[in-house]
Amino acid sequence: MKNISIILLLSFIFLYSCEEIMQPIADPEIPVTDRVVLLEELTGASCPNCPKGTAAVEAILQKFPGKVAAIGIHGEFLAKPIPGKSKYDFRNKKAADLENWFQPWLGKPAASVNRVDLNNPDQKYATVSTGQWQANVEKELNKPHQLSILMDLKFDATSRVLDIDFTAIPLVDLDGNYNFTIYLTESKIMDAQTNGNVIIDEFEHNHVLREILTKFDGDVLGTDLKKNVLIKKKYSYTLPSTPEGLWKPENMDVVIAIHHSSTTDRSVVQAAYEHVIK
Amino acid sequence: MTRILPLIFIIFFSSTLFAQEKGVFSGAFETNANVFLRDSSIHANNTPQYDHQFFGGEAWLNLNYKIQGFTIGTRFDMFHNSNLRNPTGSYSGTGIGRWYLKKQINKLEISAGYLYDQIGSGFIFRAFETRPLFIDNALYGASMKYNFSDTWHLMGFVGKQKNAFDTYSGNLKGIRAEGFINLGSEESPITFAPGIGLVNKTISDDYMSGVKDVLRSYQAEDRFTPSFNTFASTIYNTLNYKSLSLYTEVALKSKDVFYNPFAEKTELVGSTTGKLVSQSGSVLYGSLSFAQGKWGVTAEVKRTENFSFRVDPNLTLLRGLINYLTPLNRQNTYRLTARYSPAAQDISEIAYALDLRYKFNKALSANVNISNINTLAGDTLFQEVFTEVIYKHKRKWQLTSGVQFLTYNQEIYETKAEVPLVKAVTPYLDFLYKFTPTEALRLELQYMNTKQDFGSWIFGLAEFSIAPRWNFEMSGMYNNKPKKPNSKGELEKILYPTLGIVFFNESQRYSLRYVKQVEGVVCSGGICRLEPAFSGVRFSMNTTF
Repeated sequence: MKNISIILLLSFIFLYSCEEIMQPIADPEIPVTDRVVLLEELTGASCPNCPKGTAAVEAILQKFPGKVAAIGIHGEFLAKPIPGKSKYDFRNKKAADLENWFQPWLGKPAASVNRVDLNNPDQKYATVSTGQWQANVEKELNKPHQLSILMDLKFDATSRVLDIDFTAIPLVDLDGNYNFTIYLTESKIMDAQTNGNVIIDEFEHNHVLREILTKFDGDVLGTDLKKNVLIKKKYSYTLPSTPEGLWKPENMDVVIAIHHSSTTDRSVVQAAYEHVIK
Repeated sequence: MTRILPLIFIIFFSSTLFAQEKGVFSGAFETNANVFLRDSSIHANNTPQYDHQFFGGEAWLNLNYKIQGFTIGTRFDMFHNSNLRNPTGSYSGTGIGRWYLKKQINKLEISAGYLYDQIGSGFIFRAFETRPLFIDNALYGASMKYNFSDTWHLMGFVGKQKNAFDTYSGNLKGIRAEGFINLGSEESPITFAPGIGLVNKTISDDYMSGVKDVLRSYQAEDRFTPSFNTFASTIYNTLNYKSLSLYTEVALKSKDVFYNPFAEKTELVGSTTGKLVSQSGSVLYGSLSFAQGKWGVTAEVKRTENFSFRVDPNLTLLRGLINYLTPLNRQNTYRLTARYSPAAQDISEIAYALDLRYKFNKALSANVNISNINTLAGDTLFQEVFTEVIYKHKRKWQLTSGVQFLTYNQEIYETKAEVPLVKAVTPYLDFLYKFTPTEALRLELQYMNTKQDFGSWIFGLAEFSIAPRWNFEMSGMYNNKPKKPNSKGELEKILYPTLGIVFFNESQRYSLRYVKQVEGVVCSGGICRLEPAFSGVRFSMNTTF
């Protein structure tokens, strides 16, 4: 008994007396690059923790201006309108398909940065750790810039027809199969949002995925892209005029992402975004 | 892990060949197999299993062998399109889930491999397995236990926590000393069983890098310098005097980085809740039991503050838990009385429980259980009054009946916004009638009356058993006063039926059930997780040998 007491006492004193050399927390680095990364956030109006995700996305957009294209995917999970509070329903079929395409994920909010495989069986592409999103953006911005996207938008306010022309310019030879996805997003939508255990009646919803003009997992761009061999694509879409309060062209963006299309690699090579009305 | 196996088998076979004495083999096998039948009306859809896999299951095979002071064991684990790890995902993995080797050398006991153990009640360390929740927090490492006498021992361990077929990085180290003292006389003993323990967690460079990444995204006022090491200590004792038993435990944790879902986080504009913090924590626990004549009384109290303890602060839900915080409420078994069950809160909780038992005579006994759980700020989390009366009529029939009064804070336990406290009254009846010594019928009837959440429920069950081989069961859970609209926006009265057959063959148990089970959302640590509805056929089998 006496031996035990001495051993324990010494162990406690020894362990508690250890002092660490503390390491300071550095500020994020803003790389000089022409890369633009795609940040796809799984969110929902009925998701109590999602305002945290919204705040994290806005902080990233402020920290890396012009370098991040954000999409808010209101799929199925916790995305139902709030009964008696919501004016709009942000859900749509392609958003639901895209949300399921990201499976497995642990919950919401979760975000994928450039669809990089996280090597985590619980959350393959989208992580629920909102604090990790910024670091993931930084990592992607520090990768080499391999492809540029030039986008030209024409919007006719009378017919509400939006013409999208884009050119993909490989800066190096890129092996493999590539797809592209064209998203339409809308911001500055004031509507109800669950926040913890309260409901915010007038929450500003930004980057809400309103439509995908391609298939939800992309249309074919090409295989084994060659350096400086341009690929041009043209799409047209008529913005709906209902419901009232939505589909406001002045609040809408077109986002284009070019990404790998194999079953094992879905990573995004480059993203681009433009306002529908500049 | 598979590289270690040849070594185990060399030891195993050489000891078998040269041993004078015969060894003892033992083992166990358990398997679950699910056939998923999509039913969008109850939201049993949109997971890979319902969409295209249709089948999923798990299996575990344990083998243990004892010879000449050696104990070796291994466990084969198989997950095939399993929804245990992530209820909305599909997980497949096959391999050796556990191996271990133990050797007793006089007073010394050494162990290596994947080990299960705990210190005290588990407040600072518990390496354990709970298969239905995909928890297998074995310690992958080595431990040494020295028995100074029959009553005193010292144990130390070093290792990493298991993570499916891998381990988390970062190290865990700990020591435990336990003993037994009798200060009374032989006729009137007063015994003490004291214990003390210490655990040190060192976060790996990789996890620390993740913590720093998160802190870098915080505004300056929320940032702090994280430390790699956390120390947790505990001291506990069981005092027994006649029919009185008192267990007390105090656990403390030094400054530790953990996620506090209730802490205010500063944003560029305004604030949100939930962030990493670096704070110390404590758990105080006491349990007093007394049995005298026809009476039995147990009173418990537990106070928890900032005692989230994980191998990586960025892990969520049930991942990477180093410790285990015991819930104080009654662990109910009936379907409706168990519907609202509170998870132990690791950030802020004060809980009281009282259990009274009285035996009127051989035929009649009664039990009242009261639980009250609040936050340290005084907000109501959970209240329950549970009564039970058991009447046994000779050996012919038995009636168990009572009522549960419950208050449950859905805002906290399920992070649901602007929902009132669930207040439910649930009377229940359990009637067992023996037709013959081998044939019996058991009937259950429960009614949950509530105006909150899904609304009121009726549950009925009939179970006919033909001992020792067969059980036939049929049950239904019916949402008779629905409060939640279905996918079409209508208030629909839905029946969730279950039909099942259970077959026993000595130590083997086989069950086959057709199940429809209601869905729910569970939130923890600021993250919400869907526990989806289930629709399909479940087969399970387990045996020991």
